[in-house]
Amino acid sequence: MTTFSQLYARLRRKDWRQYALLAGCCFFSVLLLTAYVCMMRSPTILSVLPEGGDSRKQVMMIFALTVIGCGVFTLYASGLFFRQKSRQLGLFLALGATRRQVAGALTRELALLALVSCGAGALLGAPLAWGIWQVFRAAVVDTQEMALTFDSRAYLLALGFSLFVLGALLLLGRRSIRRTNIMDIVQESHQSEPIRRVPRWYGPVGILLLIAGGALGYGMPTFFIQVLRWYPPDGLGAVFYLPALAGLYMILLHTVVNGWRRKRNQYKNLIATSMMQFQGRQTVRNMLVMTVLVAGAYFASFYIPMLGAGAALGYETRPVDYAYHWRADQDLPQRQETEELAGAYGVTITRWVQTPAAVLGVDGIAHLETEGALGVTYTEEYRPLLTSAVFLSESAYNALTRQNLDLAPGTIAGIVDDDGSGNGMFGGEATRLTNMVTGQVLEVTPAEPLCYTMLFGRFVLDDGDYERITQGLTDRWRENQVFFNVADCDGSYEFAKALFHTIVARSGPEVEQFDAYDQVEEILACQAGEPYPYARENLASAGYEVIDYDQMDSSSFRLAWKYMPQFRVLDQTDFVKTMAVYLMLFVFIAIVCFAAVFVIAFTRCMTLAFTSAEVYENLRRLGASRAYLCQSVRGQVRRVFCTPALVGTSLIYAFYAMILYFNGDPAGITAGEGAGLAACLGVIAGVSLLLYGVYRLTLRKACQVTIDGA
Amino acid sequence: MLNVQNVHKSYQVGRTTYEVLKGISLSIGKGEFVAVMGPSGSGKTTLLNCISCYIPVDQGQITLDSRPLAELGEDQLAEVRNRKLGFVFQDFLLLDGLTVRENILLPAIIGGGAGKAAEDRADRLCQVFGIRPIQDKYPAEISGGEKQRTAVARALINEPLLILADEPTGNLDSRSSRAVIDAFRQARDTLGATIFMVTHDSFAASFCDRVILLRDGTVEQVLEKGADSRTDFQDCLLDAVRRMGRE
Repeated sequence: MTTFSQLYARLRRKDWRQYALLAGCCFFSVLLLTAYVCMMRSPTILSVLPEGGDSRKQVMMIFALTVIGCGVFTLYASGLFFRQKSRQLGLFLALGATRRQVAGALTRELALLALVSCGAGALLGAPLAWGIWQVFRAAVVDTQEMALTFDSRAYLLALGFSLFVLGALLLLGRRSIRRTNIMDIVQESHQSEPIRRVPRWYGPVGILLLIAGGALGYGMPTFFIQVLRWYPPDGLGAVFYLPALAGLYMILLHTVVNGWRRKRNQYKNLIATSMMQFQGRQTVRNMLVMTVLVAGAYFASFYIPMLGAGAALGYETRPVDYAYHWRADQDLPQRQETEELAGAYGVTITRWVQTPAAVLGVDGIAHLETEGALGVTYTEEYRPLLTSAVFLSESAYNALTRQNLDLAPGTIAGIVDDDGSGNGMFGGEATRLTNMVTGQVLEVTPAEPLCYTMLFGRFVLDDGDYERITQGLTDRWRENQVFFNVADCDGSYEFAKALFHTIVARSGPEVEQFDAYDQVEEILACQAGEPYPYARENLASAGYEVIDYDQMDSSSFRLAWKYMPQFRVLDQTDFVKTMAVYLMLFVFIAIVCFAAVFVIAFTRCMTLAFTSAEVYENLRRLGASRAYLCQSVRGQVRRVFCTPALVGTSLIYAFYAMILYFNGDPAGITAGEGAGLAACLGVIAGVSLLLYGVYRLTLRKACQVTIDGA
Repeated sequence: MLNVQNVHKSYQVGRTTYEVLKGISLSIGKGEFVAVMGPSGSGKTTLLNCISCYIPVDQGQITLDSRPLAELGEDQLAEVRNRKLGFVFQDFLLLDGLTVRENILLPAIIGGGAGKAAEDRADRLCQVFGIRPIQDKYPAEISGGEKQRTAVARALINEPLLILADEPTGNLDSRSSRAVIDAFRQARDTLGATIFMVTHDSFAASFCDRVILLRDGTVEQVLEKGADSRTDFQDCLLDAVRRMGRE
C-alpha cells in the first residue's frame, strides 16, 4: 500500500458497511421507483385507466409521493454516509492531501457506487414488477387483460431519478470537503444536530394547519370550477394541500421534541426523548416521509375494500336478479327465447317484466368553454335541446319496481340511486322534452326525484304525457326494459353468461357504443360541423377505450358498454376478473409504498442505534440495567415507527371519509360507502399487524446493536 | 523558523463578531520545544489552527521557514501541511481501518512518498517510541498512550520542520501523558524535531523550553525554563496561571 488510491481502496474495504448502506438505499429507491414507473407506464395499465380519470390521477399522486419519499430517503442516506466519512476525509486534508486529490478519489467511488446501485435497481425494477404481477395472476386472478407489457420509455424516469441520485451524491461529496476550516470537517461526525427550541403551540397549530390544508386542498378545485367557473391547471389543487404538509411537519416536530403528554414523570423517558431531540431535523424529515408514504399506501390499499364492499353490497341489495335494455330496432331475446335458454341451463324464471321506454331530447345548461391565458373558463347557456334521456311511463315504472307512483300530468321525475344521490352525474331536472322524429315539444315541471338504482338516470312521465310525446317515434328512439328473477340466482351463472353472450352477439354495430354516447348530442355536433368525441370512430383519438364486441369479457367493455346488462350473478362472480387490473395495480402500489416505509423505518432505527451505541455503553457503565436500556431503545424505535404510522393512518382515513362524505349528493355516507369504510378498518388492522411485526424485528436488532454491541 | 507577526482572527456567529486573536506575535527557533497555555477561550486552538493552515488569518503574517503562509495557494498549503508540518491531535485521529504502522505511514502515502525509505523510517520510529510490538495491531486494540505515541510517530514520518500538538495529553492518564511527553523529548533530542504544543497541563508544559501564556487573544506572558529544574518550572507555571485566574 504505497499510493493514495491504494490507501483509499483499503479503507473502503474496511468501511464496507457504510458503502453497503448507501448503495443499498440508492438501489432500493431506484428499484421501487423503476418497478412503480414500469407498472404505471405499462400499456396494460394505461389501456384500462381512463385518461384524465380519477384512478390515473391517484396513481400519479401516489407516484409523486413515492418519488419525494425515495428522494428524501436517498438524501438522508447520503448525508449519513458523508457524516461518517467526514473524519477520514478531514484527516486526509489535515495531513496534507489536496482537496483535488480527495475530491478525485471521492468522485470516482461515488460515481461507481451510484452507477452500480442505481443500474442494478433500474435493471431489476421491471423484473420485480413483472414478478409481483405474475404472483397476482397465479394466486389471485388472471384475465387476458392482465398480460403485462412494459413501455421502454418508462426507463427514462428511472434514468432521471438515477441521475438525481448521482448528482446529489457528487454535490454532497464536494460540499463535505469544501469547508474553510479543515477541523470542522474532521469534527463533523461528532457534531449532533439539535433542533431549535420548539414552542408547545406547534402541536395545536400544526393540527389546525393540517385540517385547513386538507379542507383547502379538497375544496379549492370545486370553488374554482363552480364559483369562478375556471378549470384550474393540473397540479394547482395540490398547492393548497401545502399547509397540511407544513402542519404535519409541525406536529411531528412537536411530537419528537416536546411530546404530547404533560410531563408528570419527566424522567421516565429522559434518555429516549433527549436523544431523539439531538437526532434533530433528520428524524423529523424521515418521519414526515414515512407518514406521507403510509398515507399514500393506505390510499391505494383502500381502493379494493371500498370498491369491493360497495359493489358487493350493491349487488346484494339489487331488487331484481336480471335487468337489461335494448334499442327497439335490435333483435334481442325476449321472454320466450330467454325462458328456453334458461330451461336449457336448468334455470327457472320466476318473474318477468318487460316495458317499453323512449329516448327523447331534453333541454339543459350547456357549458361553453373558452381557452384563455389562465386556462379554460366556461360560461353557462340554456339550450332548449341539449342531450337525450330515457323515459318510462309511470305504469311501466310501477310494473318494473312494483311501486304505485302517480305523477301529475305535466310533471317529470328523475330517478336517482337508492340513497337519493345523483352521484354528481345526474341532476334529475328537465323542463322541455323533444320528440326527435316529429319535433313535438312537451314542457314539464320537475317533481321530487325517485330512488331506484337499477333505473338510475332515467325519467318517469305521466302515462298521458308519455303517450303524447312518444307518438311517431321510430324504433331507433325506442327501447325495451326487462327485469326478471330466477328461482336460484346463485346457481344461474352459466345461464347468465350465455344470455349475456347472446345479447352481445345479437346486437348490431349501431349500438356498439360507449356509455357516454348520446344520439342527440351526436346530431347537434354534426349540425354544428364539430366532431362528436363519443362517436365510435372518434373514441380512440379522444383517448377513450373503443367498444368492441369481440372484447365482451374485458373490463373496458363491461364497464363502458352503453347497453351492458345487469345480471347479479354475473356481476358478482366476475367482479374481481372485471376489475382485476385496477385492483392489482393498487395492491402493487400499496406493496411498493409499504415496502418503502418498512425499509426507511428500519434504516432510520438502525442508524439511531449505531449513533447511540456509545451513549448506551456509558449508561451501562453508570449502572443502567439491561431492562432500562431496552426500555430507552424502545422509546426511540417506537417513536420512529408509531408516530408516522399512527398519524399517516388516521389522517388518510379521516381524509377518505371526508371525500366520501362531501362527494355525496346530498353530502353524506351511503350504506355502500359505510361498508367500504368498515372494510378499510380491516385493512388497517392487517397492515398494522405487519407493521408491528417489522417493529418488533427492528427493536430486537436495535437492542442487539446498542446494548449487546452485536 | 516559525514567525507569527501581529495575527488577528475573528469569528462571526450570527450578527456578532468575536475577535479571538488580537495581534499575537511570537517566534520559534529550530529544535525548540514550546508550549502555549491559557484559559479556555484565550485563543490557543485558534492560533494552532492558523499555524496549521487549517484556517486563514484575518490580518498579520505567519512565516514558516521564511515562507509567508498567506501567499501560498491551496495546493501549496496542502504541501506545507504534508511536508513541513506534523500534527498530533488530542483525540489521536488514527484511522481505525489501518494498522499502527500504516497509520504512521499515512502522511507519506498522501504525499506520494511512501516507499522503502518511508517504511524504514516508520520502522525506526516504531523502535524509537517503543511501539514495535504493536505495529501490526489496529487502533481499537491498543491503549490511549500507545495511540498517542503512534500519532507522534505519524507526525514525524515526513521529517517535518515543526510538530504541532493540540492538547496531546488531554485524553490520557498521567502514565500515558508522561510517555507521550517523553516521546516528544525523544523526537527533539534524537531526531532534532521542533515542537509547538497547546496544552492545559502544567505538568506537560514543564518539560518545555518555553511556555507562552495567552489571555483573551493576546500574549500575556512568556516563561523560559532556563536553568530551572522541571519541578521549579512547573511551580513557576502554576503561579503564573493562578495569577491569571485571580486577575
